[in-house]
Amino acid sequence: MYSASENRSMTMLIRKLESIATLSDEEHAAILGLPTRSRTLGPGQDIFRDGDRPSQCCLILEGWACRYKLLDEGRRQIFSFHIPGDIPDLQSLHLHTMDHSLGTLTEATMAFIPHENVRTLIQRFPRLGGVLWRDTLIDAAIFREWMVGMGRKSAYGRIAHLFCEMYLKLEAVGLAAEHRYPLPITQVELGDALGLSNVHVNRVLQEMRAKGLITLRSSTLIVHDWNELTRSSEFDPTYLHLAKTG
Amino acid sequence: MSLHLQPVHVATGSDDIESQLVFANGFLVAVLVQLGEHHQEEAGKWFLEAGFGRVDHPHPPVFTDLDAAQDWIAAQLASNRP
Repeated sequence: MYSASENRSMTMLIRKLESIATLSDEEHAAILGLPTRSRTLGPGQDIFRDGDRPSQCCLILEGWACRYKLLDEGRRQIFSFHIPGDIPDLQSLHLHTMDHSLGTLTEATMAFIPHENVRTLIQRFPRLGGVLWRDTLIDAAIFREWMVGMGRKSAYGRIAHLFCEMYLKLEAVGLAAEHRYPLPITQVELGDALGLSNVHVNRVLQEMRAKGLITLRSSTLIVHDWNELTRSSEFDPTYLHLAKTG
Repeated sequence: MSLHLQPVHVATGSDDIESQLVFANGFLVAVLVQLGEHHQEEAGKWFLEAGFGRVDHPHPPVFTDLDAAQDWIAAQLASNRP
């Protein structure tokens, strides 16, 4: 059942969109009025699979998810990590068949919004269509950065860059502060995202710890030397386009 | 296929130092590195640090012991994959 809402779950979407744009009161209200159906899944569950034809968008409310593709012999490439406020399958509004899978990494709660309601929202508020477009363009910019990392950066550079990226994404929606954040992903998942073996991920984490750059314990990452982490990974946050455009 | 091992130390930039060069018919085909204590449950196992030609692999495996590593390397060398 979809419930039209004074929709607590939609506040997460508003928080996300306001990290990249300014919304009017009417736009706020329209987003809060979207009908949603919530669902909680355990870790490692598929939300949409490669080949599916979704009729709704998935907004993450709690937990982490990833987009990925499976290859032969159990090989997996993770394309992106997603946190509360993200709509990782926004593209399904226009690309009707999933060309990859979307799954949970932790226990996660999602709000599903029917495509037709998102389309109506965009027709009524074309500027919101622009904001969602901006979000998908930033998504593409993040892919470009990951491509640079996998093609041209060391294991150390890739991991350090991801740690910087996730911090700023989480901070933008109020889920991280003071260079500390929950990082509930395994070393294997890090490796699958960054094209690294578990052995290399482990070595790099040891090196970062030994240099006093980070503490990673109980799924919490603390960055002790942000400047060094950004310098050593050539991290330039421009591609996240977190400044509001008005 | 006869494989020949030669112990070396490899500068992996970590505590993983004890290593074996693996030769097949006189050619270097792989470098195996034994994983150190910081790899926890994987400690003591052997990692395909580098493989050449048919032994190269995008998802380098970890082997329980050197026999398992050599079996895998021999199978790769005997395979017809490009």
